[in-house]
Amino acid sequence: MNKTQKGAWCILIDSLFLILFGILLFTEIVILKNLFTSLHRFIALLLFSFMVPLFIFLRKKQSTAEVESDERDRLITKRAILVSFVSVWVLLAAVCIIPRFIVGYTGSIPVWVLSVINFAIFLIAMFIYSAAILIQYGWRGKDGGK
Amino acid sequence: MAVNELKNQIRRLRFENSEMTQQQLADKVGVTRQTIIALEAGKYAPSLLLAFRIARTFAVTIEQVFQYEDG
Repeated sequence: MNKTQKGAWCILIDSLFLILFGILLFTEIVILKNLFTSLHRFIALLLFSFMVPLFIFLRKKQSTAEVESDERDRLITKRAILVSFVSVWVLLAAVCIIPRFIVGYTGSIPVWVLSVINFAIFLIAMFIYSAAILIQYGWRGKDGGK
Repeated sequence: MAVNELKNQIRRLRFENSEMTQQQLADKVGVTRQTIIALEAGKYAPSLLLAFRIARTFAVTIEQVFQYEDG
């Protein structure tokens, strides 16, 4: 597994954790009106403890002469950036349309929701970017790469 | 519509050159092992620069490494 693949796995796992943690926090604090409990702190700690080994894994090389990235990696990354860029536009369009059905034409939403939406779009775009990289490589290095 | 394919002899040339491993070839031409794997499997068409580097590593011409086939 090369650095681009490792990086994609790190981003995929981290963004997935953050999305799930965000959904959990939103459900608990906003919908169920609960406070930030020790369970949330434990999950946050678990999330950050997962990030450390991921970054060690990212730095580990197969051989000392191994290159960081090559022309194929750059091509794959370029395509993944394009896919995530398109997804950002699709998500922004969805964000403009969906609230209309939830709060109506003249309804209003709190300002902080916009920040949450922006952050969620960023996380989803990162998730799509890393998934696009891994799909092009063939997920678990199907083309023979470990 | 005709299918154009880029065939290559990288695998054969590696074995003819004292059984060079994919990692050794990758290190010599400055790419990752995954790229060599993709090249050998015909899943990736290299840049002209990389094609030249691979041919030079085996001390052969580009045509001896890569063959363009009209399907």
